[in-house]
Amino acid sequence: MVSFIGKVKKLLMKLNTKMRSFFWNIRRILHNVKTKIGKFLDKYHLNFANKFPGWAKALLYLSPALIVLTIFTFWPIINSFALVVYENYNMSNDTITGYTLFGNFLTVITDESFIVPASHTGSSAVINTLIIVFISVPISVLLALFISVALNSIKPLKSFFQTIYFLPYVTNTIAIGLVFAYMFKTDGGLVNQLLGMVGVNAEGLSWVESGAVYWRSMFVLIFYGIWASLAFKIMVFLTSMQGIDKQYYQAAAIDSTPRRRIFSKITVPLISPMIFYILVTSVIGAFKIYNSIVALFGVSGAPAGVDYNLQSIVMYIYQFIDGSNAGNLSVAAAGSLILFVIILLLTLVQMQVSKKRVHY
Amino acid sequence: MDKKLFLKSNKIEKISFIFDLLAIIAYIALFLILFKMLALPEIVNGSMDLDNLQFMTPVYEFLGMTLDKGQMNYVITLTVLFTVVSVPMFFINTKKVKTRTIYEVDSYVAGSKFVQAIVNLLSFNPISAGLRIYNTFVLIKFVKGYNPREFFKSVIPAVKKKFKETFKKRVKEDYSNLDEYSISIKQSIRRQRTVRVTILLFTYFFLIMMAFIIIIPFYWMILTSLKDFSGATSTNPDFFLSISRMNWVNYKVVLTELNFGLYIKNTVIVAIFSTVGTIFTTILAAYAFARIEFKGRELLFSILIMTMMIPGELYIITNFITVSKNGFGWVGMPTGSNNYFVAMIIPFVTNISFIFFLRQNFKQIPESLYKAARVDGCSDFKYLTRVMVPIASPTIFTITILNVFSSWNAYIWPRIITGVGGQEGKNFWLISNALRDTAFVQDNGRVMYNLQIAASALVTVPLLIVFFMFRKYIMNGIGRSGTKG
Repeated sequence: MVSFIGKVKKLLMKLNTKMRSFFWNIRRILHNVKTKIGKFLDKYHLNFANKFPGWAKALLYLSPALIVLTIFTFWPIINSFALVVYENYNMSNDTITGYTLFGNFLTVITDESFIVPASHTGSSAVINTLIIVFISVPISVLLALFISVALNSIKPLKSFFQTIYFLPYVTNTIAIGLVFAYMFKTDGGLVNQLLGMVGVNAEGLSWVESGAVYWRSMFVLIFYGIWASLAFKIMVFLTSMQGIDKQYYQAAAIDSTPRRRIFSKITVPLISPMIFYILVTSVIGAFKIYNSIVALFGVSGAPAGVDYNLQSIVMYIYQFIDGSNAGNLSVAAAGSLILFVIILLLTLVQMQVSKKRVHY
Repeated sequence: MDKKLFLKSNKIEKISFIFDLLAIIAYIALFLILFKMLALPEIVNGSMDLDNLQFMTPVYEFLGMTLDKGQMNYVITLTVLFTVVSVPMFFINTKKVKTRTIYEVDSYVAGSKFVQAIVNLLSFNPISAGLRIYNTFVLIKFVKGYNPREFFKSVIPAVKKKFKETFKKRVKEDYSNLDEYSISIKQSIRRQRTVRVTILLFTYFFLIMMAFIIIIPFYWMILTSLKDFSGATSTNPDFFLSISRMNWVNYKVVLTELNFGLYIKNTVIVAIFSTVGTIFTTILAAYAFARIEFKGRELLFSILIMTMMIPGELYIITNFITVSKNGFGWVGMPTGSNNYFVAMIIPFVTNISFIFFLRQNFKQIPESLYKAARVDGCSDFKYLTRVMVPIASPTIFTITILNVFSSWNAYIWPRIITGVGGQEGKNFWLISNALRDTAFVQDNGRVMYNLQIAASALVTVPLLIVFFMFRKYIMNGIGRSGTKG
């Protein structure tokens, strides 16, 4: 038995050495061929590898990303300008009936429930979106600012709080949206239960189900939006606050400056570029709100059995891809171009303001 | 400082790791076995009779014991609790043993070892507990030089002394022999101290309140996912749940009957492939933008940055045409000839903001390193793989995690892609659109809230686990990318 194991061991060792020498031989041969080719090329001045122009090398490195980007990023931008001028574009057989310059834009703008509140719903996509933007962005930015100032002023438990505040960033919008809808349930929802404990008569108060008033369901939507977006803002504010030179605060401490003045004269001006950045990104983010509405109210964008809806602009666009009006992609393209223009204008305005106000 | 004792303590700790690991494996195995044993309702007319879920009284035979429903829930909850406690403890301890030096050991370390021993004892792991208690005494000997007997003798006087110190009567300061000015200064110092303490208390109160608001949805989600149907829909919901009433069978129903196992598999496939693709294309492109000099580099880069401002809806409209019948034909074809995975992966194998982020990181690597490598005959590609990637690996890791998160949370694109597929497309749902579009409604109109929330928890918990494992990378990555963007 022992001799058998020894034999197997020897055989394996032999095999190992043979394998190794085999691979080394291959490597040597390849290397020889490589050097010979190199010498040959050098001899006749054919070696392009050394004279490889920069752009060719760059193209080699960029091509995987550029191919995908061309098909799925640059082409859509061009194509959406083409789509906009088509009349009655039919996706299933790729045909059109004619061309129009502003027809699709007009369809969008005059469409009931885009800008003009529809007669049977009493609300429109643009108005809904604007309400969400102008309420949720200021509140969430201010709240994030206060929380990060508070976090920055304490030492024990700081990283613990930081971790907790970061949790909403890593969650699935749909999943937590369903939980929020469940928490705001009419019968036996957590929120109504808590209100009852505080002493408010919340019996049968409807938030996201049938019978909810417009502002109540809007409140849930905005609350959820703020809850979900706080994490990123706090994180960015805190990082930039930790980057402020301690000397400013020490100088203020010597002069016994009150906290309010330290906040308004040192902290806010020094992180104003970050506040501005957050403001721009969160306005853009609020304009593109979609997932949280779907999570709370379903694809229809309204609580069951109410006469309004909470459609946002993005939701209006997506209904042409899958939904009641499926197929009319030209109108969808026109809608998304309008959204793009709105975002572009807002960014430009904010940039102009920031040039004057923001301290860099 | 006796180095021998320190090494001995490390050795004991390493031995207890083996038993910790064995215990963790045992908990997980027990959980899986018991979870597999959980009884599901009978199948009536091709679908599961979910109304019967809460009224069933199954009896389980396990290792010669007979367990009823409540006892089974009790055992499973205990295995989950033990796993949740012991896995992080194991990882933190292994890291500590690796990095701890002899100068960092103090009496606090001995105390924490003792606490860990008690936790081990509570989680039915007596061997590790015994080893850790022994280790505590080794550490006490190392720190203070006490034998166990000397230690026990010294405990009572020390406690008495501490007791006396804390309850010593405060002597009221005598102001009588001070002049008016120093009294006023003393009083103003006291006033300032009270103001500072009040502000601090207020700050903590504010932070705790906000933390409650942040944490409540998560708590409510976990709680509801373990309730039975009548518990989840009662008008007077419980805020706490006793251990024997935690219905782990909800998760089993969601995974098997409601097909979430399949959806999780789909999502993992899409996440893996799109992440690998993204990392590959992003590293190459970022390298080209950071190091290779060519005409129009800045122009191309600024065009890429500008496209980041365009809303994603604009792309989705045309991309939908591109992948469907008149384009590549990946979806929208007759049943059986569709390629849903390709349609869900390929558009997302690159990401401009990650290219931007990684390029900034590559640029920080000194140029002289590149020149030195070139002098030594290192090709560009070799330099990228041997030097750049290892140096930027924390950033690349952050990008990997963020990309996995975003494909886990993708909703609209998978929804559109699988929506055109009708019944066939349902088998390719990703987790988010499954969550939204699965009907949790019974035939009799009941909405199975507990199952819906259990599915939500099933989607959220993996994200939270990954987050807690790589917390530092993710939080640093977000902070830095924010400051630079």
